[in-house]
This record gives sequence, C-alpha cells and structure tokens, in this order.
Amino acid sequence: MSTFAYKPDDHEAEKASNSYLMSLIAVIAGLPLPIINLIATFIFYMGNRNGTYFVRWHCTQALLSQASLVLINSTGFWWTMSIIFGPATVSNSYLAYIIAAVSFNLVEFVATIYTAVTVRKGVHVSWWFYGDITDLICKPNQAYEKNIFSRF
Amino acid sequence: MKKIFFQGFSLVVLFFAGWFALQQVDWMSVFKVEQVTKSTEEKLGDLFWEIFGKEEKDLRASDIIGPVDSILTKICTANDIDRSQIKLHVLDNEEVNAFALPNKHLVVFSGLILASENEAELSGVIGHELAHIQLNHVMKKLMKEVGLSVLISMTTGGSGTEIIRETAKMLSSSAFDRGLEREADIKSVDYLLKADIQPEPFADFLFRLGADQPEMLKNLTWISTHPESKERAEYIIEYSRGRSDGGKPVLGKEAWDALQQTLGELQ
Repeated sequence: MSTFAYKPDDHEAEKASNSYLMSLIAVIAGLPLPIINLIATFIFYMGNRNGTYFVRWHCTQALLSQASLVLINSTGFWWTMSIIFGPATVSNSYLAYIIAAVSFNLVEFVATIYTAVTVRKGVHVSWWFYGDITDLICKPNQAYEKNIFSRF
Repeated sequence: MKKIFFQGFSLVVLFFAGWFALQQVDWMSVFKVEQVTKSTEEKLGDLFWEIFGKEEKDLRASDIIGPVDSILTKICTANDIDRSQIKLHVLDNEEVNAFALPNKHLVVFSGLILASENEAELSGVIGHELAHIQLNHVMKKLMKEVGLSVLISMTTGGSGTEIIRETAKMLSSSAFDRGLEREADIKSVDYLLKADIQPEPFADFLFRLGADQPEMLKNLTWISTHPESKERAEYIIEYSRGRSDGGKPVLGKEAWDALQQTLGELQ
C-alpha cells in the first residue's frame, strides 16, 4: 500500500476496483482458456484508458498482472492438451508444474480480491514489480493534473 | 529501471525454483497416477484380448507358440525386458498381421508367420510390436483416438460392447502415426542388433510386402496399415548399415521350416 498523487473520488475508486473484479470474473469464466482473462482485462483497459489517472493506473496494473499469468497458464493449458490429445504423458514434472501454476494463480487471486476491496475504499495499492512497471507506463496527463491542482 | 528488471527476474526465478522444488516430491505416487493408469491398461488389455480370443483360435500348441516364444525371449533377454510381462499370442488367421494390445499383449497372426521367408523377418516384426509396447505407444494411441474418458468408461462398464469391439478392431487394423511407427522401427533394429539378429531381413520383409503383389494383397493387413513401407525399409537399412555382423539364428532352419509346415497344414 502506498500513497497516490491525489485522493480519488468515490466513482474513481469504484471504476478502479472494477478493473480487478473484471479479472476475477474473467478468471472464473475463462478457466479452460487462459487467454480469456487477458482479453477481458484488456477490453476493460481500452474502455478506461481515457479515464482519470487513478482509474487508468489500476486498469494497467490489473492488465499487467494478468499478462504474466497468461504465460504460466497457457503453458499449463497446452501441456494438458498434449497429454489428452497428443503423445505426452502425465509425468512428475507436469504435476509439479500444475501445482506451481495453481499456487501462483491462488496468490494472484487473493491479492486481486484484497486490492479490489482496498482500492474500492479509495486507498492506493501498488504491487511489487507490477506497480513499478505501471508507474513507468501510466503517467498523469497534463489536463488532469491542472484539475488536481485546482482542487487542492 | 534496474529495480524492475531485478524484480521481474526474481519473479521468474521464484516460479522456476518453486517448480523445481515441487518436482522433488513424487506426485505420481501421491496422486496414484501410475496405479490408476496401470489398472486401466490392465482392464483394457483383458477386454480387448477377450474379443480376439473369442473370434480367433489361439494357437497354444508348443510346436507353434514355442518357436515364436523363443524369438521373443531372445529379444527380451538381450534388451533387459521382463519377458514374463509380455503376453504372446499366435492366432489362427490368414491375414498378414501383428499388433500390440494394452497390458503388453503381443498378437501375431499365423498368416504373417507364413508370409515371412525366414525367422529374422519375423523377429523384425516381433521387435517392432515389442517396441510399440515398451514405448507405451498403445495407450498413447488409445488416448489420442478414443480419449481418456471413453477408455475409463470402458473399464467401468459404462461403454457398450460395440464400442469396445470397434476400438479393439481399430488397434489391430490401423497404424500408429508416422513418428511412432518410425520410432518403433528404429527401436526394433536396436533390439535385433543387441539380440544378435540381422535387421536387414526386416527391411526385406517390408520391401517385399510393399511391392505390388496382387495375389497377396487381400490379406496384407499389416502392410496396408503400415504405409510407406519402402521408405521404412530404406531407413532401416540406412540405420543398421555397418552395425550388424551377420547375426546368429535363434531357431535354426529346421525348426523354422517345421513351424512353417505346421502352420501351412492348419490353413
């Protein structure tokens, strides 16, 4: 948890929190196809990229966190497909991979719920690694900064 | 920027380290994967064998099964394969065919033995089917063609006998995919070389059966289900070039001729 550039309004906190909820719903809906949650968060990101800085920032963090999971989950998905339909067989490496992937997904799932709840209260949550990348990608725009200054 | 690279790198390392650490646990035993797979394979093997055993006559006479068993035992012993695990059957059928069933059933039709000109040719085919068994090709093919859920429903009585019959026929009358056939051919050559049996006659067998022989075609199931036989014969020759020192017969001409005569009289 860290401080944000300004105190977000309630409607901003709601939209920002929704970006995490979106990824949670997409994870549940897209379990068989790991790409679904990335697409869902990407669509949400596209819809809010012109939103306020707080909303954009959290949409970006939600999108980035999904992107790395997609790599892990896609590998697991295609490995499973090659076992069911191809020449691969169930091995110790495969089972260990699936357990590792599920663990990462669980950690991400819990972190996402926590972030969604906290962000809804208007409190800024910056994740380790993802938060720093989001800081690099997502910059406050000039017009909005003027707005902030006029408010304070 | 450096900090982000370090963090990203740490995440990747954390994942792979976690994966590596988890691999140290024997999950196959924890989830009883091997037991489940083995029991499914055993049940499928029994189910399929029951179908062939009912439809064809299983030739158990020692003067027929004995020589074929000697060849199989020689190959198994030379290659550290547990012979007692392999269930060998010679069926009275004029089709030139041999195939493997789940749970290590190796089936050879009498027609194939009669179509072989010498024991080394038959040894090549036995080695090829043995390779399918040892490389677990049979279960892989079943999983691919039929799917795991249908296989399990077969063993738990959830599938009709017609599906089981169709699947058994599919195993006996269709080839594995090209890659698996090649793998079995190469493995067979390795088996033969270790058992001091010439691999070239196996290639000759493929060449001969692959050639246009209309009078034999109606019974050539093994070759029609194992396509590109000339290409296969070529890479077998290529692979075994310079590695064979002539080989030693397992049965000898007299025993081979006696086997051929006994089977010839049956037909």
